Amino acid sequence: MLNDVTFGQYYPAKSFVHKLDPRTKILALIAFIVLLFCVRNFYGLAACALVLFAAVGFSRVPLGSVLRSVKGVLFILLFTAVLNLFFHGGEHLLTPESWFIKIYRESIVFMCFFVIRLFLLVMASAVLTLTTTPVSLTDGIESLLKPLALVRFPVHALALIMSIALRFIPTLIEETNRIISAQKARGADFESGNIVKRVKAVIPVLIPLLISAFRRADELGDAMDARCYTGAVKRTKYKKLKFGVRDFAVALIFAALIAGVVLLNIYGSEIFPQIYDFIKLK
Amino acid sequence: MTDELIIQLENLSYTYPGSTAPALKNVNLQVRRGEFLSVVGHNGSGKSTMARLLNGLVFASAGTVKVCGVNIAETEDILEIRKRVGVVFQNPDNQTVASIVEDDIAFGPENIGVERAEIGRRIEWALSAVGMSEYREATPARLSGGQKQRIAIAGVLAIKPEILVLDESTAMLDPKGRREVIDVVKTLNKEEGITVILITHFMEEALLADRTVVMNRGEVALEGTPEEIFENGEMLQTFNLSLPKISVIAQKLRSAGISVKDVLAPAALAESIVENFVERGISAGQFKGSAPQSKTTGGEWDIEISDLSYVYSKKSPFASKALNGVNLRIAEGEFFGILGHTGSGKSTLVQHLNALIKLPQAEKKFKMKKPKKGKPAPVYPHISVGQFDLADKKCNFRALRAAVGMVFQYPEYQLFAENVFDDVAFGLKNFNPGLTEEQIEDAVKSSLEIVGLDYDEVRYKSPFDLSGGQKRRVAIAGVIVTRPHVLVLDEPAAGLDPKGKSEIMELLHKLHREWCKTVIIVSHDMDEIAENCTRCAVMSKGGVFVCDSPRKVFARAEEISALGLDIPVTAKIAREMKKAGYEIDSDLTVSGFTEAVISAFGGAENA
Repeated sequence: MLNDVTFGQYYPAKSFVHKLDPRTKILALIAFIVLLFCVRNFYGLAACALVLFAAVGFSRVPLGSVLRSVKGVLFILLFTAVLNLFFHGGEHLLTPESWFIKIYRESIVFMCFFVIRLFLLVMASAVLTLTTTPVSLTDGIESLLKPLALVRFPVHALALIMSIALRFIPTLIEETNRIISAQKARGADFESGNIVKRVKAVIPVLIPLLISAFRRADELGDAMDARCYTGAVKRTKYKKLKFGVRDFAVALIFAALIAGVVLLNIYGSEIFPQIYDFIKLK
Repeated sequence: MTDELIIQLENLSYTYPGSTAPALKNVNLQVRRGEFLSVVGHNGSGKSTMARLLNGLVFASAGTVKVCGVNIAETEDILEIRKRVGVVFQNPDNQTVASIVEDDIAFGPENIGVERAEIGRRIEWALSAVGMSEYREATPARLSGGQKQRIAIAGVLAIKPEILVLDESTAMLDPKGRREVIDVVKTLNKEEGITVILITHFMEEALLADRTVVMNRGEVALEGTPEEIFENGEMLQTFNLSLPKISVIAQKLRSAGISVKDVLAPAALAESIVENFVERGISAGQFKGSAPQSKTTGGEWDIEISDLSYVYSKKSPFASKALNGVNLRIAEGEFFGILGHTGSGKSTLVQHLNALIKLPQAEKKFKMKKPKKGKPAPVYPHISVGQFDLADKKCNFRALRAAVGMVFQYPEYQLFAENVFDDVAFGLKNFNPGLTEEQIEDAVKSSLEIVGLDYDEVRYKSPFDLSGGQKRRVAIAGVIVTRPHVLVLDEPAAGLDPKGKSEIMELLHKLHREWCKTVIIVSHDMDEIAENCTRCAVMSKGGVFVCDSPRKVFARAEEISALGLDIPVTAKIAREMKKAGYEIDSDLTVSGFTEAVISAFGGAENA
């Protein structure tokens, strides 16, 4: 069940990617996703893939760990791929005329393009979560959302909620495990029976967990009060994120990538025209 | 200490909303700047209410609270009071807001608008004041209880309070953590001049202060220096408090005519006893106490553990080895203790006993690996409990769990049902679906009665309406209702006040006599083990360091101290006396040890 003491997917290592400012990584991910949807041919896709694999290399996270996080969406990936294969029209029919199912060369090309694009997207998000602790991710999001405070969006309160949630996830997971064990020791069975029985079996875990969460919330509230928390705007902030040389380098790489993708979109057809013609998208 | 009164409580009363009985009645108390005051009392004596009144978390029903001369009911800015009065609470887990230590400590100063550079300086100062400087970037969730509580203290210190209130901040800690926190608090008082109010139910801690206030039922019952409190030792019993073990020993010796001094340090008491020996002309030597209890030879429900190893989060970057080649035999009929500090693998070990953690061979997917050429065959762990072979996939794990009852730490947090009856019957119905209503009722009734609750009074009550001690009893009843042969309890007395503690231990002895064949307790309280267990195992770094009777285990005091564990106070005194040549051999219970000492005096007189 909930055996892992850690949460999220953070992979501890000391690397170029780990040391980047979280804001850089978040912005880079957004830029990367937008790019993936702007790319119009395989050349551009290859450029994106090159940058992503370089990032994985520099992150010192084993490729296996990165691929494992893609495994979760494998089903969606295959499902959409098959749909595309069958329902995408084209000119070069590959299956015999008499078949009910018609597969075209173009649909295979498009399927590959689609799968690779989705694969890169998921993998890029995985690189972010693998190399950034949930805490610095929150810091990054808070900092990026700061301009919204001008329109009275409660950025600080939101950040505090996220921070407290992150703080209590390991505590509550530990507590859940303990309650599950305790009820198992009293003969509770979570692994067999039909749906109704299984849902019922959850009650002896859920109720103590909820009660404990409320008790903790109560005590935390007192502790925060005692530490002078008022939720007022005049709070100061100790931690400030700072961009460094690394972040500047990443910005340059992305500028180059964007330029590259745009150029490849426009002039792609002139590079190896025969090949391009074969793999061009409709 | 100055003569300036930093806190003045005048005719203070407080009644919780919805309650009829006042939690505090007419309390008058004054605290001087720089003083170290302790407030001691049983659960529900009103001592925690006092902490909440001091920084305006609640306001007095009658009477006044003055902090630095300001009446807090009349002040406009309660933050000014909270800046001065820092409060550290009981549960170390529920006081931190951030996942990184320095971010958490910054929380207070951020709230009062301290500028950035100054916050950095305060974090550094607060962490060094609690001796946690190297943990600035650590994650609180992975620290020990004592360390977490020191972080909580640092978080309060960073606001630079003049008064530090600790509201039972040591109640949930192990003895090591408790010592860490108390040491920090003493240093803060002596070196930083911070006024300290230590609220506790441990007399040992209370008597370290300059002045002690004893609370009973919302009123101040006694007040004075530790010496003055000692003189009223007998009265403490009536306030549901108990003297420190060492004072009990001293008292017993005095009533036997041996004039020892009232001291808190084992070395000083040992010295005082030795002085008495010398005065009476008894020369150094060995003195035997009463014969050790008859050994249990074992029976049908013996437990055998061999080569047990276990790794948490295998194959992840966070893998940690919890058990490393444990071999242990627990015979039927023992009152067995498993001890070791946090993280030594004790909880992991006991969870194997009823297959909450299954042996690898018992997992469905398991296949025996063929030994590789030139390498010895892999060693597989093995556990048997009675006739159950836990390494066998076909083992009836349901029957095993009914036969091996397991009470987790703070079991009251696992109560869930609408009423006490349903909660206690939960396990019984799970294990024996075929029981009739009458059979269930009989079983629930007798298990509630043996834990000391009135069946008719509590059966329809919600378990959440009971007092803390009653909740724990209901939770224990919910485990023993299946009449397990072996009962395992993880820290059964954790978080209770001294009276609650001794009541729970009495209950366990009763269960051991009448209900369960073998009782196994996991504990980090050495006195508890020495006082109660027939045999015990000391765990260290995932292995069994030593396993024997408490008398023999604690004879190796030096090695056990080297593991970072405490030894019972009786063993400490015995060790000090041995240095002077007087060797007292006893079973290390308080009464056994005192009798041995008295008989050493008596024996010499007869000769």
